[in-house]
Amino acid sequence: MKTIGFDTLRKEAWDKVTGRAIYTGDEIKAGTLHARILISPHAHANIKSIDTSEALKVSGVKAVLTGQDCAVRIGSILEDRPPLAVGKVRHFGEPVALAVAFSERAAAEAVNKIKVEYVPLPEVFTPSEAVESTAPLVHENLSSYKKAVSDVYPEPNTNIAERVKIRKGDMAMGWAESEVIIEASFQLPKSDHIAMETRNAKAEILPDGEVIITTSSQAPFTVKKMISQYFNLEEGKVVVKTPLVGGGFGGKAAMTLEILAYLASKAVNGQAVKIAYTREEDIVSAPGSIGLEAKVKLGATKDGCLKAVEMTCLLDSGAYADIGPRMAKAIAVDCTGPYNVEHVCCDSLCVYTNRPYATSFRGFGHESYTFCMERSLDKLAQTLSMDPFDLRLKNAILPGSTTPTMVTSTTSNTGSLPACLERLKSLINWGEGSRIELGNGIVRAKGISSLWKTSDLPTDAISGALLTFNADGSINLSSGAVECGPGMKTTLAQILAETMKMDLSRIHVKLDVDTQVCPEHYKTVASMTTFMAGRAVQRAAEDLIRQLKSLGAVVLKCPPEDLDVAEEKVYQRHDPLKFIPFKDLVHGYQYPDGQSIEGQIMGRGSFIMSNLTTLNKDTGKGVAGPAWAVGAQAVEVEFDTKDFSYRLIHAATVIDAGKVLNPKTARGLITGGMCMGLGLATREAFEYGDQGEMLNTSLRTYKVMHIGQEPVYLVDFIETPQINAPFGARGLAEHGIIGIPAALANALSAAAQTELDQLPITPETIWQAKTGGKI
Amino acid sequence: MIPFTFDYYRPDTITEAVRAYKELEGAGRFPIYYSGGSEIISMARVNNIHTKAVIDLKAIPECTVFENNANELVMGSAVTLSAISEANYYPLLTKACGRIADHTMQCKITLGGNICGTIRYKEALLPLLLSDASVIIASGNKLATIPIHEIYNHRLNLKKGDFIVQFIIKNKYLSLPYFHIKKTKNEKIDYPALTLAAILDEGRVRLAFSGLCAFPFQSPKIDTAWNQEGLAADAKIHEMINHLPGPVLNDVYGSDTYRLFVLKTTLLNLEKELEKMPCSN
Repeated sequence: MKTIGFDTLRKEAWDKVTGRAIYTGDEIKAGTLHARILISPHAHANIKSIDTSEALKVSGVKAVLTGQDCAVRIGSILEDRPPLAVGKVRHFGEPVALAVAFSERAAAEAVNKIKVEYVPLPEVFTPSEAVESTAPLVHENLSSYKKAVSDVYPEPNTNIAERVKIRKGDMAMGWAESEVIIEASFQLPKSDHIAMETRNAKAEILPDGEVIITTSSQAPFTVKKMISQYFNLEEGKVVVKTPLVGGGFGGKAAMTLEILAYLASKAVNGQAVKIAYTREEDIVSAPGSIGLEAKVKLGATKDGCLKAVEMTCLLDSGAYADIGPRMAKAIAVDCTGPYNVEHVCCDSLCVYTNRPYATSFRGFGHESYTFCMERSLDKLAQTLSMDPFDLRLKNAILPGSTTPTMVTSTTSNTGSLPACLERLKSLINWGEGSRIELGNGIVRAKGISSLWKTSDLPTDAISGALLTFNADGSINLSSGAVECGPGMKTTLAQILAETMKMDLSRIHVKLDVDTQVCPEHYKTVASMTTFMAGRAVQRAAEDLIRQLKSLGAVVLKCPPEDLDVAEEKVYQRHDPLKFIPFKDLVHGYQYPDGQSIEGQIMGRGSFIMSNLTTLNKDTGKGVAGPAWAVGAQAVEVEFDTKDFSYRLIHAATVIDAGKVLNPKTARGLITGGMCMGLGLATREAFEYGDQGEMLNTSLRTYKVMHIGQEPVYLVDFIETPQINAPFGARGLAEHGIIGIPAALANALSAAAQTELDQLPITPETIWQAKTGGKI
Repeated sequence: MIPFTFDYYRPDTITEAVRAYKELEGAGRFPIYYSGGSEIISMARVNNIHTKAVIDLKAIPECTVFENNANELVMGSAVTLSAISEANYYPLLTKACGRIADHTMQCKITLGGNICGTIRYKEALLPLLLSDASVIIASGNKLATIPIHEIYNHRLNLKKGDFIVQFIIKNKYLSLPYFHIKKTKNEKIDYPALTLAAILDEGRVRLAFSGLCAFPFQSPKIDTAWNQEGLAADAKIHEMINHLPGPVLNDVYGSDTYRLFVLKTTLLNLEKELEKMPCSN
């Protein structure tokens, strides 16, 4: 009967492997119109005029919209983004106009006939240029923008959307105690999520004003609230539906196409409109990941005890802030990595540039700053002639240490990094040596990285679960969490089955989300679904059990405290042969003479984050998330010193999972993250022309990892329970990505005996670093 | 989705195809010959090409011939890269075709399409240049047989409305010792930073390159430089670089200096491989 800790087939597995699973774009009702967008060919330009007259003449075209037709600005932190550009464009690929037509082809033809006159403006392409006082402003009226949250501090007349500061300890003392100081700087490019399903949405407005939106989103409840807020609609009149989502990776947490679908529908008298981004549009018009420029300064004693960490992180948020200010916060909160450092100074800035804008991406900034921190640690280890494992073990965060935001670490809230490092060490056979020459110029090398991550959700983020019974005693589970791949609805079913002590096959989950009937789940993000929705499910199960016992007590003529539930029965603990099956209770109990009592038993469970605080504006002191998951990762490469090419041999991860709920799924999640990390490390990056035009906007030119080029993946888990989490399980959905770019760079830096501080690392960049570009 | 409408023609004979092209051209329909369609579709959907008519050559029997007779290998222009790989009549060409795009695309891309398309690398061309292939062209009302070095010399010299029907390679080339290496930026399935194909013919090495200059090429001068007796590899490579037929490509797939570095390491590697070959002299 136990399901926790056992390999469990995901509930939607059969639908998925037979191709029958339904995604947003799979169903289209008769009469649906289609919308396509026109995008900006400029990175920064004033819009002098837009002529839509020829577009409107295309047969089948119903409407053409420009920024003038939708006077709202949107954003979940800062309301800075018009759904269609108004006055000027701020990045290549920005949506400028939209055509609605009977067919997608007619809409596309109309878009091609829209004439826009632009007057190019000076561009700013890197965050370090953007923070200069002379830099062109991406947003001239930054101070006039409405804040969607209270704790964000855009700096007027600059390109700085947010500045998060960490001031812990006394830096002067930290440097004084340091016998060795190393400094390094890093540059990481923007890239894309490349979810298999591109973003797409449908909207219609019914005659009574009800707005129905179907969307591929990680945040249907946010879409509901934002549409209601921006257009002054009663919240209950906006219904958002999300079927299965074909990959999110954070990219579908931001509202993008939903508002365009709504505006398009509004322009055609409420008729249903579908809009789906092509892969090219999904890459340039929808948000990708942040870029990062960082400076790191570490101070340590000669025996490798970290004394001071100073970091400046400039996040390239692109043209709009979106969730960027929160990623600046997330980087600051965890900036040191999972190490005990007494003196910390970090400035983490979210900066506007004329690049495509960014949103959350698997790791939420951790994959970026971890690269900088863990590369720096290897440099320090080299300077100290210390083994990279020893350096990390020596400084690993332990119970009693404090984090950069001065949260005291406990076994429950942090887990055990030393255990992860020790396990990793044997998993990758570190003892044989981290750099081995195999002859003929071939070198095998290994590199490592630690990782940690907590969530940075709002302090009042909520979740909920509703349970109903079928007459046969099986349970229907409804939650507002979106199923975007990690099998979280199956995890919730496992938690429910385990709590109810019943068979998992008797739990039926609602896989899609409908904001009208599902209880709200904040957003399916931040590796927090198991924690938040799982807690809600546990509460709902307890609610069921209480009611079952209460009714069972009447039927079995005993006090409820003498009863327990298991195997779909309510039974007397002292005499289990006295029981009554669920099926005789759950839709009301009927006495032999026909009289009935109670009615349907339904369970409700609610959850809200507790004990989280906003950060102090000056010191960063505060509690950002409920707990961390820590881990350690390694990559092993085979490097050719003659032509600087390399092969990936092994990639390994050991994570303190708290408790592994579903081993194969957990392994899959970690492996998927590692694969994405290797993509970032080896090939994924936006490439631009001189004018800021993007050069690799299709999968022909933007390369992701392919089968056959991957290493052997090694995954193992430590289990130090997080006491307040369901069955002790920590959030780990993002974590596989975090340390991999650093581990690869550390491996290749060791292999090539040169410092590789930029991503992606290709034979050409190694050749550049090693030879300075000599033939 | 292709954002414009166009007519689709599927002639059964060469004569019909040529006539259709002429008529459509005259009627201002900007016809294009169509075979695998992978490039036409991917370019059309992002507005990089526009046409009002495509003429599909795949129903013309001569364009789909694929046979190895007593004297030669005959390959219709509409034979797919995957068919070439599977039959493996010409191992060097198999290797070249196996490194163009991914397998799904190889099942669509045709030999004629790879060579006549707009994507500059045309890697299937290298084995044809090395084996002095003959090319059968449909030109007006007649077929012409033209040496590949005439029809392709840094650019394809096809007249408007002409199309390639077949490539013919003499059997002696099919089994010569060969060398094929493709270097990409990092991802295996990508455009080349350098593709080098070579054959060893009666003790003499012939070389062909893609990804080095803006066009693929095979150059007698470069071959001569490589085949010099008694010169150190470094010196030979230096001389070869002086004979390059155009500027070295400099783009996101590789800077010009990096491509030269790759050329040098690849040629040094080739030299080692040649030393191992028993038939080398």
